[in-house]
Amino acid sequence: MKLRKRICLFLMVLFIGLTASGNVFAKYPDKSINMIIAFTAGGSSDVQARIMQKYWNKYSDQQWVFVYKPGAGGAIGFGEIAMSKADGYTIGGINVPHIVLQPLVQKAQFSPDDFAYICQVVNDPQAVAVRKDSRLKSVKDVFEFAKANPGKLKVGLVGPNSGHHLMFLDVKDKFDFPVTEVFYKGAADQNAALLGGEIDVMFGNLNDVMRSLEEMNVLGLAAEKRNAFLPEVSTLREQGFDVVSDIRRAFVAPKAIDTAQLGFLRETFKKICEDPEYLADMKTAGQPTEYMDGDAFAVYVKQQSELAKVALEKAGLLK
Amino acid sequence: MEFIWPAIGHLFDPLNIFLMIVGLTGGIIVGALPGLTATMGVALMVPATFAMDATSGLIMLGAIYVGAIYGGSNSAVLICTPGTPSSVATTFDGWPLCKSGHADIGLFTSLLSSSFGGIVGTVMLLFLAAPLARFALQFGGPENFWLCIFGLSTIAVMSSGNMVKGLLGGALGLLVSTVGIDPNVGVPRFTFGYYPLVQGIEVIPAMIGLFSFSQVLYLVGSHKPFLADYVPTPGALKKVFHALTSRCKVILMRSSIIGGLVGMLPGAGGEIASIIAYNESKRWDKHPERYGTGVVEGLAASESANNAVIGGALIPMLTLGIPGSAVAAVILGALLAKGIQPGFKVFTATGDLAYTFIMSQFAVNLLMIPVGLFLARIMTKLLSIRLTFVAIGIVVLSVIGAYAIRNSMLDVWIVIVFGFIGYFSNLVGLDTGAMALGIILGPMIEENLGRCVHLSKASGDSVIAVFFESPIAVLLMILTALSLLTPLFLDWKRKRMEAKCACAPTSLKEGPPHA
Repeated sequence: MKLRKRICLFLMVLFIGLTASGNVFAKYPDKSINMIIAFTAGGSSDVQARIMQKYWNKYSDQQWVFVYKPGAGGAIGFGEIAMSKADGYTIGGINVPHIVLQPLVQKAQFSPDDFAYICQVVNDPQAVAVRKDSRLKSVKDVFEFAKANPGKLKVGLVGPNSGHHLMFLDVKDKFDFPVTEVFYKGAADQNAALLGGEIDVMFGNLNDVMRSLEEMNVLGLAAEKRNAFLPEVSTLREQGFDVVSDIRRAFVAPKAIDTAQLGFLRETFKKICEDPEYLADMKTAGQPTEYMDGDAFAVYVKQQSELAKVALEKAGLLK
Repeated sequence: MEFIWPAIGHLFDPLNIFLMIVGLTGGIIVGALPGLTATMGVALMVPATFAMDATSGLIMLGAIYVGAIYGGSNSAVLICTPGTPSSVATTFDGWPLCKSGHADIGLFTSLLSSSFGGIVGTVMLLFLAAPLARFALQFGGPENFWLCIFGLSTIAVMSSGNMVKGLLGGALGLLVSTVGIDPNVGVPRFTFGYYPLVQGIEVIPAMIGLFSFSQVLYLVGSHKPFLADYVPTPGALKKVFHALTSRCKVILMRSSIIGGLVGMLPGAGGEIASIIAYNESKRWDKHPERYGTGVVEGLAASESANNAVIGGALIPMLTLGIPGSAVAAVILGALLAKGIQPGFKVFTATGDLAYTFIMSQFAVNLLMIPVGLFLARIMTKLLSIRLTFVAIGIVVLSVIGAYAIRNSMLDVWIVIVFGFIGYFSNLVGLDTGAMALGIILGPMIEENLGRCVHLSKASGDSVIAVFFESPIAVLLMILTALSLLTPLFLDWKRKRMEAKCACAPTSLKEGPPHA
């Protein structure tokens, strides 16, 4: 009896040992990968990641399992990625400047250093937009009107403590811009307020502005160069205002991820980002693509972190 | 107009009929399960539409939306739990009807009213989209603020029996809604050092707790063998149809129009529309004291309004790219992913798609009657299951539903804590309906007041000036004042009636929903 038990035990140990060692030698990834999205299903971030998944399956048989962790402007989900097990089977999407701002103003439970950056996929520049019938025809008009009528010009922003808010602080810092700022919960409310005439001007993401393009005039883009979606719209720099502000989307893994695994992810994502069909799909969905590799993006995040800290401190928003 | 006939033709495509029926069935089930909301049902199906052509995908999402909003009434009637936030007002008369053994009357009234409301909403979408979209844009910070205050004033009418307890419930709800990130300054508030609370107390788990979990606690303590007695009424459907087409005509029409109008406002949805419609029906009724005791009028008002919201919410979504509700926002996402740009052009450039979608909404609302009847028959079986099993089932569904909203354990704790709050509130007669209203409206009130305060910097730092600049806000202020005076009027009327007829029952005042 005893012997039989021992044999059983031995066989079990052997079996477990074999399967475990099998795991070590298997090619990564050999099971499905959790994709944490810090916003609601069906939102912009979700749609973008779903498009990527379509092409991911060209290079890997393993599926992405989407896990939605919305709340606190993304901070809950970002924290979840940072704290998850770094076994290569949990990755997620993040946004900049969200991950830079939240640890500063909300005491969020992560820092930008907690991530290993896979790559940037979207660069959604901020646009200055007015209603179609507005008498403000250029960015210069906006600034001149603001200066001539202090406090009268109403500028809509999504926020507070958001990318829009940062751009606003930057503008106020660089130029004489005495206006009344109004915060909105989201882009939909902001667009509605502009079309309804509650605000005169808004700083909004290109992706959001595109939804109501028929009713709006986009006066300028806060970007380094013009965007393929609206090639006729000049940048703020071209119009003499040196302001660059955008929201970036990127994919990350927890910091401690194995370098080989990170390498595989970086390589595969790069292949996806260069696929012409993927680029066509992104264009249809109105997502302004811009690939940047993981190392360069990590440097960019660090830089943004410092800039944001200075801007918020200057505005007295850091306590 | 040249698009309408081909659009109707598309609807007879077997695939589209199949998608409508599947969407409706799925939607009704999702809506009926507490915690699984219309938003979630639609959002989960968005990836599936990537594989379909745009029209079919849109038809299916629309069908799920309609089904889920109606489905919410099933659990509101059968277990006194609003399946979606839009059916809070449905519990007020639905549950008393069920308790008195007339669950079938309640379910059929909800079904037919929902279908009617949905059709009125679609008519508004088809014929009045352009002018209504322009009107919706007039609602900014001050208008939305006063609309919410008007919604809140319904507490006064709801709890005309005991105003102090009603107000106390509402105030507690408002207090709960302040937990989380301050919408105007952006810093965390009342989180007591526990980080997950920065996301705030989500409305749905709080409501599952207040209504459904507390209901389980009450039922478990009651030693009743079944949830409620149920005797099928012979010819129930015919009776309901007769009642709705005769004495509820005006109520159905008024509530549907309220629903359509509130639906197209970006900030306000079915939660508010159904409560306002319920309140208005009660105010204009000859015997308002009957409301809350299980009258079909109350159900008809709430359910027609929340389904009319759908057509309304789609108006600014299609014409301006501004969603009128959370579900419309998800559908907008699906449209954009297909590369369809919203705008007035949607009716010309992509007219085929737009009109097929609108026509499918008519078809879906009609198809909902047979599909809903079939499912209602199955759901009433719940009442013949022993309470012990039903109670366990409700708890399991509540917890799963709450967790599924944002995959957060916090929401499970919220259900449990609010379950006990609801249970003890009912014991002392504190109005949980008012509390739910406070939790729903609190964030919207705060956000819009914040907008007014910001805007006031451009009008001499006076918020009052911002309020009075807008004629719509002034109108809403007057309506709010009238609404606050209604209970006094009702009281006076009741006293006069009692004086006239000594034999009249004296205990007609409303109790809490599950008393």
